[in-house]
Amino acid sequence: MLILRDVRKAYGKTVAVDGLSLRVEAGEVFGLLGPNGAGKTTTISMAIGLVRPDAGSVELEGHGPPTDGNVRRLIGVAPQSLALYDQLTAEENLEFFGRLYDLRGKRLVERVHAVLDAVGLLPRRRDRVGAFSGGMKRRMNLAVAMLHDPPMLLLDEPTAGVDPQSRNNILELVRSLGAQGRTVVYTTHYMEEAQRLCDRVAVMDQGRLMALGTVHELVERHGGRSVVTFERGEQIEHVQTDDPLRAISGALSGHAPGPAISGVRIERPSLESVFLTLTGRSLRD
Amino acid sequence: MDAIFALAMKDLRLLLRDRANAFFTFVFPLLLAMFFGAVFGGGGGGSGRMDVVAVDLDGGPAARAFLADLAAADGLNVTTTTTRADGERQVRRGAVQALVVVPKGFDESAGNMFSGTPMRIEAVVDPGRSAEAGLLTGKLNEIAFMQMGRLFNDPAKMTAQLDRARASINNSPDVSAPQKLLFGTFFTALDRLVASQRAGGAGEPAKAEGSGFAWRPVDVQVSKLEADPNRPNNSYAISFPQGIVWGLMGCVTAFGLSLAFERTHGTLMRLTTSPLSRSTILLGKALACFVACVIVQVMLLAVAVALFNVRIASPVAMVFAVAISSFGFVGVMMLLAGMSRSEGAAAGMGRALILVLAMIGGGTIPVFFMPDWLKTASSVSPFKWATVVVEGSLWRGMTVFELATPFAVLIGMGIVGYAIGAIAFRAADAR
Repeated sequence: MLILRDVRKAYGKTVAVDGLSLRVEAGEVFGLLGPNGAGKTTTISMAIGLVRPDAGSVELEGHGPPTDGNVRRLIGVAPQSLALYDQLTAEENLEFFGRLYDLRGKRLVERVHAVLDAVGLLPRRRDRVGAFSGGMKRRMNLAVAMLHDPPMLLLDEPTAGVDPQSRNNILELVRSLGAQGRTVVYTTHYMEEAQRLCDRVAVMDQGRLMALGTVHELVERHGGRSVVTFERGEQIEHVQTDDPLRAISGALSGHAPGPAISGVRIERPSLESVFLTLTGRSLRD
Repeated sequence: MDAIFALAMKDLRLLLRDRANAFFTFVFPLLLAMFFGAVFGGGGGGSGRMDVVAVDLDGGPAARAFLADLAAADGLNVTTTTTRADGERQVRRGAVQALVVVPKGFDESAGNMFSGTPMRIEAVVDPGRSAEAGLLTGKLNEIAFMQMGRLFNDPAKMTAQLDRARASINNSPDVSAPQKLLFGTFFTALDRLVASQRAGGAGEPAKAEGSGFAWRPVDVQVSKLEADPNRPNNSYAISFPQGIVWGLMGCVTAFGLSLAFERTHGTLMRLTTSPLSRSTILLGKALACFVACVIVQVMLLAVAVALFNVRIASPVAMVFAVAISSFGFVGVMMLLAGMSRSEGAAAGMGRALILVLAMIGGGTIPVFFMPDWLKTASSVSPFKWATVVVEGSLWRGMTVFELATPFAVLIGMGIVGYAIGAIAFRAADAR
């Protein structure tokens, strides 16, 4: 669906994206992860035609580059910043944006109703967006992206700063969008979200693609070994292993001196450990 | 086109929802025009006195005495000027309600109580101030008769006056012999009265009788200033074009800021990632500004005509003036919007740009009050040209053809402003 070929973008001497190649398949939920400054937002900006790459190409397969207005009709965008008019009501915001996508009359009314219902804001449709909470605004931001029913959505940190209820609503929506066969490109700093939602994940750092694959593949490849923690009274023992069950079994059946085992905890490698392995543990400010 | 309309409607709706912005765009210019119209025109004068300018074209002692009595009269604020033309100009501008002219020969005619050319006073009033005209007529007659009182109290002048009158009546073919006899008796009685005054005594004044002879010792002529298409009919005709220019400035500021607002709040990103082209987005913004400019002008003109007796001398030219000045100011807005990266920059640049252009362009002081060098500098300001076309259509009575140059300048400013703004917008967007 979305193809980036050897894309490069620099702002002055700062290279934001350096030779990135990606292919997001139709109907998949694709996670784009990376620390601050990794180049995610620039990548998203190029994918929606907001920024032209210095080199390489971006295209929606079979349609052309997203700088073309007709191609942009196929994309729904939920930018990181809340791109809404606070002085307008939820309904007025959606009606305005809908008209930009040639939605008219009954179809517009239906779509406005449908997306407001989907994000749980139908009862508040006549309230000004400025009166909404942060979570409600995030859901409105997503509603605008879904309004014209695009086959592909680019969601840039759609759950940043929201309450658990709003986050759950958004995650469920993204999951349902994926289930409907839509292509979703999702950037986030929350690893558990990516692990929960994404069919495939790309990890970026310093403008480059560090890893790409399913969560399971990435964990297998870059997650390292599981850690089994044994508690023997006051004493705690960590064991790194590829086979935690065998390690536990061995420990329980063995005749090691000292106190008996009072507790066992298994820490399997996760996307977070993959992320930290690939991008390092130093702060990125 | 529908997208442009949607963008424009959205911007107008946002403008109206922002009460402070809407106030300064639509209401403030109206208040400004009404306030300055009242200040300069007397509509809001609280003293209850009539402002009169007087001109002494005679310069004699009787004329000076008349003006002194005029200045001391209740209910009048009297200033003087040196020429009749300047006095009429003050009336036309609404600075005063009337001009009183003491004509040449007043001193001589002041002695013609009984014969010859009577004492003549002229007054010219604003056609819109008919009520004051009646008051002024009464006042002028009262003051003129006061001059006659002085004549009676001066025996030498009175004796000379009686001698001239006696001779004039005796030589007049219009006065019959019996009437001449009666007048002779009357003048003899007056001679005795004057003689007694000289001697320090007093006597009863005699009453004149007669027919076929109109005794008209004072001739007060009050006329209304003729409507002059090249002059404003009242002060509101000047203040409302100023208000319109300030309204246009409000639109420029409001919409110039709105693009920067959209940029910093992310909505511009959403617009630019929609199917719309950059040109469509800018056209939508420009259309909203244009509509707001037209609304504010039409609203002010409607109020001026309906409530303040302002007449539109050239309605057709006014239609063009409203449309073309709106177009020109859209260019200013685009220039401001395109060159501003943030709301702070837009606000700061807007204040600087607008205030300077407004000041030199007649937005604060009418251009015709400015020194020559500032009038020349004002040519770079769209405010000047907007003022020229609005005033030209409103009270100068200029035709579309006569306004072709300022129209062309405003259209040029609109095109250049739009082009520079669009280029700057694209340059910022392409970063």
